[in-house]
Amino acid sequence: MSDGLAEIWRTGLRNRGFVIGGIITVSFVLLAAIALIWTPYPVEEIVVTRRFQGISSAHWLGTDQFGRDLVSLLMAGAVNSVAVAIVAVGLGVGIGVPLGAIAAARQGWLDEILMRANDFAFAFPALLSAVMITALAGPGAINSIIAIGIFNIPVFARLTRGAALVVWKREFIMAARVAGKGPLRISIEHILPNISSVLIVQVTIQFALAILAEAGLSYLGLGTQPPQPSWGKMLNEAQTLMFLAPQLAIFPGVAIALTVLGLNLFGDGLRDVLDPRLRRER
Amino acid sequence: MTLLSIENLCVELEGPNGVCRLLDQVNLSLSKGQCLGLVGESGCGKSMTAMAIIGLLPQGMRAHGKILLNGEDLLKADEERLCQLRGRKVAMVFQEPMTALNPVVPIGRQVAEGLRLHLGLTRHEAETRASQTLARVGLPVERFALSLFPHQLSGGQRQRVVIAMALACGPEILVADEPTTALDVTVQAQILDLLADIIDEFGMGLVLITHDLGVVAETTDTMAVMYAGRLVEDGPTVEVFERMAHPYTRGLFAAMPSHSSEGSTTRSPLTTIPGRVPDALSRPAGCPFVTRCGFATDLCSRELPLMKTLGHRHNAACFNIAHVEEGS
Repeated sequence: MSDGLAEIWRTGLRNRGFVIGGIITVSFVLLAAIALIWTPYPVEEIVVTRRFQGISSAHWLGTDQFGRDLVSLLMAGAVNSVAVAIVAVGLGVGIGVPLGAIAAARQGWLDEILMRANDFAFAFPALLSAVMITALAGPGAINSIIAIGIFNIPVFARLTRGAALVVWKREFIMAARVAGKGPLRISIEHILPNISSVLIVQVTIQFALAILAEAGLSYLGLGTQPPQPSWGKMLNEAQTLMFLAPQLAIFPGVAIALTVLGLNLFGDGLRDVLDPRLRRER
Repeated sequence: MTLLSIENLCVELEGPNGVCRLLDQVNLSLSKGQCLGLVGESGCGKSMTAMAIIGLLPQGMRAHGKILLNGEDLLKADEERLCQLRGRKVAMVFQEPMTALNPVVPIGRQVAEGLRLHLGLTRHEAETRASQTLARVGLPVERFALSLFPHQLSGGQRQRVVIAMALACGPEILVADEPTTALDVTVQAQILDLLADIIDEFGMGLVLITHDLGVVAETTDTMAVMYAGRLVEDGPTVEVFERMAHPYTRGLFAAMPSHSSEGSTTRSPLTTIPGRVPDALSRPAGCPFVTRCGFATDLCSRELPLMKTLGHRHNAACFNIAHVEEGS
């Protein structure tokens, strides 16, 4: 195993997207982790006297209309993004992967029902259905997490089913059945390990989409509620102040774009690195 | 002592154009420590018979008749019982060692998994047993660590792992579906020797499916020749090889490539059996071999020949056995 990991690591270092994306992703997560215990200034502290300050050594990115430190806000916003994305993608993986695995293992009518339900969920644009769900259930961080999680479920269910079906056709699955293993055991011991690389890559991509969706919902006022900071909400608040203090919109915007870009690069690189066929061709 | 006895096994596939009979009245039996060779060309139902024994026929296929394992009818057993039997009492070795192993699971775990499932061993006990089994099939743990992955082994070594997996729980019957077809000749002989040793040592019954008559002659005690889903000849291997009563059996033997007579430099063309196997949906009313048989008469195309006893446990399904034997 250590050999395999070492080889993945070596090929990873040769992949530019993987390295750049990895650095961005890791520093983003690191920032969020630091913000959990420490931010340069308390984010809920409103000091009207120091509002709209520019870039300075005291406030690296300046302050907002309430005099809050922008670096602190962005860091706290990163926590929010990571938390929402982890829970939402976790929800999608936790429900979608078992559903897809069951559909692939059982086939027949169960497969048919699950996949048609999936098509139904897919028919709505993801963000739109998230807006719909939060509009129905009421705005808030929890509801937006659930909404984003729900549109992650069919993505993982469909991916898992497709990849699992391919693995089910392979001979070692027959060997496992001949050894007396039931479908559940085969799914856990043989199918999932063989499709894990596909799932890992999809997780990074869905992670980026979840961050984007959370920012979108918060921008519309349906996601995270004040005073909890969120990048989307910062954008929304900065909108009316665009000409007065453009940096208030630019920095959260850059944060969102950079994070999503980093995750996508990382995901693409990871796919190339984990796929042994692509590895050999290079 | 009869371990496995198959009586009148039929397998049918219900298709849009009616029921299609893939296996028809197959009768086989196997005793402890014996090896039964199942011979025939591709699509004759050899592997189908194996799948029926193990209870894993593809969806939509129905089997009737009897498959008795120590007197228990496997065709009447429910899925739960079959899962207990598979791997524990009946095990299987596959043709392609490259694909029969899970590429992302270390070999030690693949062998140990069955032990934990069927014998309820702990992880540690199962690993000990797995390394013993691997050592028995020629992969001692000193040189082949349990943590190796299938891609780090050669074809022959992988087939040994597959055999170890099958052997781990001490099954009573081992079904080997062309276990040496994908291996090169020297490895082939080693694997066959290994299988022969193992059935002696463990007192198992081995069902060896192959289309290589050399393998059959060397390894099996009894043999059965299949054609188009039916048995055409069976009996003790020695007797079948001596007498070869069915024209199809003779054809198979003749089709075995051999060195041309000593000294001659010209190569004789390979002998073949003319024609092809009739489609399972449109088999002739009479003997399925009639269109390809040099001895065919009117009777052959009208009526299906039944198995006739020729000698001690030697049977063949042909109307013209006398002619066939004269003609040799």
